[in-house]
Amino acid sequence: MKASAAGVGLGPGATGVVSPGSMKPTKVSGAKHEERWAYALLVMPAVLVYWAVMAFPAFFSVGLSLTNYNGGPLWSSMNPVKFIGLSNYIKMLRDPFFSVSLKNNMLIILVSVFGQIPLGFILAYVLSRRLVGLRDFFQSMIYVPTVISTIVVGILWQSIFSPYGPITEIMQQLNPMWENTLFINPRTAMIPVLIVILWMYTGTYLIIFLANLQKIDPEVIEAAKIDGATEWQALRYVILPALSGVVVTSAILAISGSLQSFSLIFAMTAGNPARRTSVLSLYMYDAAFRGAPDYGLANAISTFIVALSLVLIALLKFVENRAGGREE
Amino acid sequence: MSFGKSVLRVVAAFTLLVSLFLVGASAAAADPIVLRVLYYFDATSPGAQRELTEVWEAFDKANPDIKVVREDLFNEPFHQKTEIYAATGQLPDVIYMWPGGRSSTLHTKKLVKDLAPLLGEARSEFSEAALAPQAAGYLAELPIGITLTHVLFANQKLLKDLGLTIPKTYEELKAMVPKIKAAGKDAILMGAQDDWVMQSCLYSMIVGRMLGDAYVDKLIEGTAKFTDAPFVNTLKFYKQLYTDGVLSAKSLQTPYNEVNGLFASGKAVFMIDGDWKVGNFLTDITTGQALIPPEQQKGIVMTVFPEIPGEINHRTSSSVVGVGFGMNANIPAGSEKEKAAWKLIMWLNSPEVQRERLETGAAFPSRKGVTSDRLEPLAQTRAKFYGEYGGTYVLDNVLEASVYLPINVGLQEIGLGLATPEQVAANTQKAYDAWKAAQK
Repeated sequence: MKASAAGVGLGPGATGVVSPGSMKPTKVSGAKHEERWAYALLVMPAVLVYWAVMAFPAFFSVGLSLTNYNGGPLWSSMNPVKFIGLSNYIKMLRDPFFSVSLKNNMLIILVSVFGQIPLGFILAYVLSRRLVGLRDFFQSMIYVPTVISTIVVGILWQSIFSPYGPITEIMQQLNPMWENTLFINPRTAMIPVLIVILWMYTGTYLIIFLANLQKIDPEVIEAAKIDGATEWQALRYVILPALSGVVVTSAILAISGSLQSFSLIFAMTAGNPARRTSVLSLYMYDAAFRGAPDYGLANAISTFIVALSLVLIALLKFVENRAGGREE
Repeated sequence: MSFGKSVLRVVAAFTLLVSLFLVGASAAAADPIVLRVLYYFDATSPGAQRELTEVWEAFDKANPDIKVVREDLFNEPFHQKTEIYAATGQLPDVIYMWPGGRSSTLHTKKLVKDLAPLLGEARSEFSEAALAPQAAGYLAELPIGITLTHVLFANQKLLKDLGLTIPKTYEELKAMVPKIKAAGKDAILMGAQDDWVMQSCLYSMIVGRMLGDAYVDKLIEGTAKFTDAPFVNTLKFYKQLYTDGVLSAKSLQTPYNEVNGLFASGKAVFMIDGDWKVGNFLTDITTGQALIPPEQQKGIVMTVFPEIPGEINHRTSSSVVGVGFGMNANIPAGSEKEKAAWKLIMWLNSPEVQRERLETGAAFPSRKGVTSDRLEPLAQTRAKFYGEYGGTYVLDNVLEASVYLPINVGLQEIGLGLATPEQVAANTQKAYDAWKAAQK
């Protein structure tokens, strides 16, 4: 760190003469300086692209959420954009469909964090420890849903869960009076969606855990076994601590992915019936592009999604620190 | 360097520049005019292949100087993409649009041209009803047809098998339900997962029957309220359909096009949809197959909902001046692009194309005298249907989007038992008041 600190402030006219005060050759500092420039140049394109397509739109969206912008040119004398403070946020919080969407997003986060990740880990553990045969077959089968188009998956499951679909047909063979009210009942309408989310994305976590389990030296586990550890103790005291960082990273992926849930639900239910299966991203999309466009409200929703995502990830990091885990 | 050589060099350079300019200009003249088109296209329709070859490819072949870059979308994604284009100022040159509500942004922001001056003398070739001023008070789109958004399709064979006949009154329809259900069938099918379907294909007809267009005009003006008893009564009647088992809440989670196969296979005695649904049952020329084969199509009756208690308009459907094609208002008047865009719009409204649409069941002609001797039985039934029934307003065509959305969602909520008619009426009035206040 000292060498790099010495390099700071060294101008381009450095000659390589030994500085009398420090005895450190300025040639080294010059090299560090060049190195920094090289890093900056290499990173610059990515930073510029990130700012252009991620950071700037996010800040711009926050700005628009505080205005009454409703399409068309931003600086128009005919329909000038006005600053309206937090009105769009108040409107959002008062809208009953906001709470419905938020609740559904929370359900998806719960299923993702407490369903996909544990299930993905268990399956990866079973496969990596070769507790079952046909390892490659099971691995492929569990991962396949992840590579199928989300829209295709959505339409496929929509047909399966449809009131006139195969599930209804099968159930009515068993009980002719059975009515498929899963989607129709607002209390159960999210269940099919959650089942599909669990089915579709568990494979992603299976692959993540499988890759990281393969990084653990088998000799460490064998040593624990020789010392008398049971399978459970090896898992509890050797494998899980080694994967704590992966669990946190997976949870961050699950949370951010859950808040972005859109295409699957759009294809399966379009947020219906009566918007009871809507989620925040769909709610935002509806506000912006369905019927009467309300871009101010849509931007307020998008800002809320980003803020919620940051809060949940911060909460996760806090829990991780309290639990003594570390991210690898 | 001599003076003569200098002059020669200047002349040579000038000649080269002029040549380059002329080559560039001629190359530019040879480039086709590019027209971006946003089109509402049901690729699952049996007539889809015919449409592609006989309408779009035919235009391309006949007009090598015009390059059509078409974007096809269907159902809600089409409307959402339209809003995105409108918001970002990226509207295509030619756009499929509705004469009112569903394309309200295009109308209210005047993003498309008035086509009446371009139509000129050709106006006399169209039904005058089809050329009525649209939402913004001018001819924003040239309608390709006339549309009745409510049709009660009846499976005559199934009715006969059950010993039933087409009901004339609501009470008769209600009385049929137990018998239909006992046979393991549904009374009425509707693919109303998307919330516009219930409003466009059923509820608008109920409002038209029970209140009439004059009352809806009062609602629009604000001299009547959505919370007043007459409007609430229309919602109460709609709720009654579920209570009586005439409609099932299953409709609200049935995807729009799933009902095609269900109705064709005899899952229900009736189906409610728009007249355009006919196209889904006709023969697909690419496969030679039809969801309802021509010999069975004679057993399908197109009628309207039976008499509703207390109705003031009898045997009416709900109708809109048809959908059609509009032209981006930013295209300079008199430009080559405008000429090309108009050429395309007129082709899309030509007798040949309207005949093709009539035969495939896509639309009933807005032009006078367009007929065909190649109509399948159901398409013939459809042609007769227009002469038999009048039409009242379709709500999403006359109300602002922010006002009809609470109705659309509210109709689903009533069907699911999540809201009362009074609550839906109150929400609609609230939305209307907010819209009205924003106009000041």
